[in-house]
Amino acid sequence: MPEAGNSLIEATADHLSQYAPFDQMARGHLTWMAEKLSLGYFAKDELILSPEESGKPKFFIIKQGVVQGEQGIGQSTENGAWLELHEGECFPLGALLANRPVTGTYRASSDVFCYELAAEDFLQLTRLSSEFYDFCTRRIANLLEQSKHLIQAGYSKASAEQQSMNSILSAIIRREPVTCSPESTIKQALQRMQDQGVGAMVAVDNQSPKGVLTLHDVLNRVALTQVDLEKPVIDIMSTKLTTLPPHAPAHEAALAMAKEGIRHVLVTDNDRLVGVVSEKDLFTLQRVGLSRISNAIRQASTLEVLKQCAGDIQQLARNMLAQGIAAEQLTQIITTLNDLLTTRIIELELKDCPARDIEFCWLALGSEGRFEQTLNTDQDNGIIFALKEDEDPAAMREIFLPFAKRVNLALAECGFPLCNGEVMASNPKWCLSLQEWKNTFDTWIYHGAPMDILHSTIFFDFRPLYGASHLGNALREWLQTAAPKNTRFLHQLAVNALRNRPPLGMVRDFVTGDDHTIDLKMNGITPFVDAARIFSLAVGGSQTNTLLRLREIAAPLNMNDRDVDAYCDAFLFIQLLRLRLHHAQNEKGEKLSNRVDPDTLNNLDRRILKEAFRQARKLQTKLSLDYQA
Amino acid sequence: MNLLERFFGKRPVLTAQQSQRLDAWLSLPAPLKNKPMNESRYVVVDVESSGLNINKDRLIAIGAVAVINGNIQLNDSFEIVLQQERVSDKGNILIHGIGATSQREGVPPADALLTFLEYLGKDPLIAFHVAFDESMISRAMKTFLGLNFRHAWADLAYVAPALYPRLARGHRSLDDWMGVFQISNYARHNALADALSTAELLLALQPKLQSRNAASFQGLKAMEREHRRHTPPVF
Repeated sequence: MPEAGNSLIEATADHLSQYAPFDQMARGHLTWMAEKLSLGYFAKDELILSPEESGKPKFFIIKQGVVQGEQGIGQSTENGAWLELHEGECFPLGALLANRPVTGTYRASSDVFCYELAAEDFLQLTRLSSEFYDFCTRRIANLLEQSKHLIQAGYSKASAEQQSMNSILSAIIRREPVTCSPESTIKQALQRMQDQGVGAMVAVDNQSPKGVLTLHDVLNRVALTQVDLEKPVIDIMSTKLTTLPPHAPAHEAALAMAKEGIRHVLVTDNDRLVGVVSEKDLFTLQRVGLSRISNAIRQASTLEVLKQCAGDIQQLARNMLAQGIAAEQLTQIITTLNDLLTTRIIELELKDCPARDIEFCWLALGSEGRFEQTLNTDQDNGIIFALKEDEDPAAMREIFLPFAKRVNLALAECGFPLCNGEVMASNPKWCLSLQEWKNTFDTWIYHGAPMDILHSTIFFDFRPLYGASHLGNALREWLQTAAPKNTRFLHQLAVNALRNRPPLGMVRDFVTGDDHTIDLKMNGITPFVDAARIFSLAVGGSQTNTLLRLREIAAPLNMNDRDVDAYCDAFLFIQLLRLRLHHAQNEKGEKLSNRVDPDTLNNLDRRILKEAFRQARKLQTKLSLDYQA
Repeated sequence: MNLLERFFGKRPVLTAQQSQRLDAWLSLPAPLKNKPMNESRYVVVDVESSGLNINKDRLIAIGAVAVINGNIQLNDSFEIVLQQERVSDKGNILIHGIGATSQREGVPPADALLTFLEYLGKDPLIAFHVAFDESMISRAMKTFLGLNFRHAWADLAYVAPALYPRLARGHRSLDDWMGVFQISNYARHNALADALSTAELLLALQPKLQSRNAASFQGLKAMEREHRRHTPPVF
C-alpha cells in the first residue's frame, strides 16, 4: 500500500475544501475522509440511489456533473425533479443519519463523477468532525450561520455605518480623505474644501499626514489675520496631529476630541492616512438608536420632525443589517417603528379633526400587516369605523376620508410611497364600517373572481394598528369562521398561488428572466406568504405574520416540526438576501428593486438560495396536494 | 565490457533483499483475464520521462490509481519519482514539474520499481497510448532489475474509439477524450493526476463496455484489437 497523503489525496482534499461543509473541517479530518473515498461514474440518466436498493446507502459527494433528486412515487408533482445537486454537494444525509433507506431517487442528469464514502465511514466522520456533524444535522441552519458570518465580515469592511460608539473607526469613515500637498497654496486648499464640501483638509506627503486645517481654523488663521492666500497651506495648518488607528473604537475618538478640544481626528494605518472622523460623524452614530428614534417619534410635534425620524429608521435598519441582525428581528423592528410613526402621524392629524370623536380602527395591510416590512414598502392601509344603528355609513365616510387623505399624504412625505393600487384608507372602498367590511370579504369569498383573489392576498393580512382594536379583532374573528367553510375559495387561492413557481432550473441552478435576474420577492417570498395565508385561513388561524402562521398551522395540519423550521429558515434567508440587496442599492444610490442576478451571489449564498427555493417548492407541493390545485 | 554484456546489456546487481522482493513478486499468481470488471482490480498508469524518445529517454516518475470493482479507490494510488543521475533539461522539467532537486532526491530506481511491482501485483495495467508507458517501464525494469517485464496491458487510446467509432476521427489525445466526458484534471502532466483522468475515462467507458459485453480485461483487449485492425497506429 502507498504512503498516506500522496498528491491525489491532497488534491482531493483541496478540491473538496472549496465547498461547505468541507471548507470548515480540519484538514486532518478531510484527509482522513479523502483516503476512504472511492470515485464512481454514472452515465446520464443512470440511477444512483433509490429506495428499492437494499443495504445501507453510501454517502455521495458530487465531483462533477449534475444529480437530480425525485420524490417518492405518489408525491411527485408535474415538475418531477424537486432537487438539483451540483459539484461539491452531497447526498443523502437524512437516510444515512437515520440509518434508513432513502425515500427519493437520485439520478445522474449529465455525466456524473461522485466520490463515495461507505456508510460506516460516514458515521465515523460525523463522530470525528463536529463541523461535519453540525452540517449534516443542521444543514440549512448551518449554511445560514456561515452566510451570516460572511455578511458581517463583509459589512464591517465595506459599510460606512455602524450603530454604537463601540464600532471601530474604519467602519465609520464615510469617504476617502480629502487631501492636498503641504506646498499647495492656501487658496487652492480652501477652494478644494469648498468643492468637496468637507470641514477639514489634510496635507499629506506620500500619504503620511503632515498638517490639518479645519473650517473653524479658517476664521482666525485666514480671515482675521488676512494672510496671503498664495502662501503654502502648511504654514497655517495645525501640525500637532491627533491620530488613531482604524481599529480604535468610536468612543476613543470622542474622548480625544473632548480632551484636545478638536473636531476632527485623523485615522492612520502605519502613518498612512485612511480617513478623517468628524464630531458630526460621531453625533450621527448616537442619534440613530432604537430608543432614541422611538422617543423622538413619540415627542414629535410636526411632520418635519417625523420625516427626519423616518430617515433615521432607514438608517437604523441599514446599520442593523450591517451588523448581521437576523431578518426576523429586523423586519419586526422596522415594522414597530413604522407603526409608531404612523400612530404619531394619525395623532397629529386627529388633533383638530371631527373624526377624533368617533370610534375607528386604522388597519395595516399587506406586508405591514404581516410585520414584514423592508426598506421599500408602499403603504397599504384601511379604516374600520364604528356605526351606531341609525347612522349612515356614507355620511360617516365623508368625515373620515379627508382625514385619511392627510395621513396618506403625510406617510408619503415620510417615504412610504402612495399605493399604486389605491389600497389606502383615503379610498372610499377601503374606509368602511365593520358590517361593510364583512360584506366585502363575504363577496370575495363567495364569488372568488380574479380581482377578489388578488384583494384577499392583501386585505386578509390586516391587523389593527391604531385606535379601537376591538373592531379589527371582530373582523378577524368573523374571517376565522367564514374562510374555512368555503373550500372552493381556498382552492381558488391555491390555484392562484401555484401560478408563481420558484425559479429552480433543470439544467442551470436557476431559471432567470431575459435580464438574467430572479425576483426575490415574487419568486422567493410570495410563495411562502401565499401558502402560509391559505393554510392559516383554512385552519381558522388568527396570525398575520408568515412565520407565526407557519407555526400556527403545523399542529392542525400535522406538519413535521423539522419541516416547519426549514420553511421558516428558508423564508428568512430570502428575506435577508432581499434586505441586503436593498442595502447595497441604497449605498449606490440606486432605485430599490427585488431583482438579483444569481451570478453576483457568492457560492454559499447561491446554494442556500437554491435550497430555500426547494423548500418553497416543497411547501407548494403540499398546497397542491391539499387543494388538488 | 565483454561480448555477452554488449549483446545483452549489463545485468544489474541487486541486493539480497531486492532479489527477495523481486522473487516474491514473480511468484504471485496472475488473475484470470475473463473476470468481469466489477470483480477485478486494474491499475491505471501514467509515466513522466525526460523526453519522448522511447529508446533513449529516461523514466522519471510513475503515477497509478487502482480501479477496483469498477470504482476508483483513491487511497489505492501510487506515485513515485525515480532518482536521476542526470537531471532532465529545463524544457522537460517545465512539462512535468518535477524539479532538479526532486529528481536527484528520488527513490533509487531499483527500489522504486520494486515498490511499483508490489503495488501492482499481477493485476492488468491500463494506460492511454500504452506503447509509450510500456516501453519506458519495461526498459527501466530491464536496466535496473534485469527483469523482462511482460505484463498484460490494455490501451484506452484504442478502446475508446472502438466504442465510439463516430468520434474516432476527431479524438486522438487523452485531452480529446477527457473533453467528451468533461473529465477534469487537477494537474495535467503530473503522472498521478493523468493516471486519475485515464481511470475516469475507463469508468466513463464502462456502460458502453457492458453493452458490448466487453467489461473484462479480455473484452478490453478485444475492443483494442478491433480498432487496431481498422486503423494504423496513431502517434
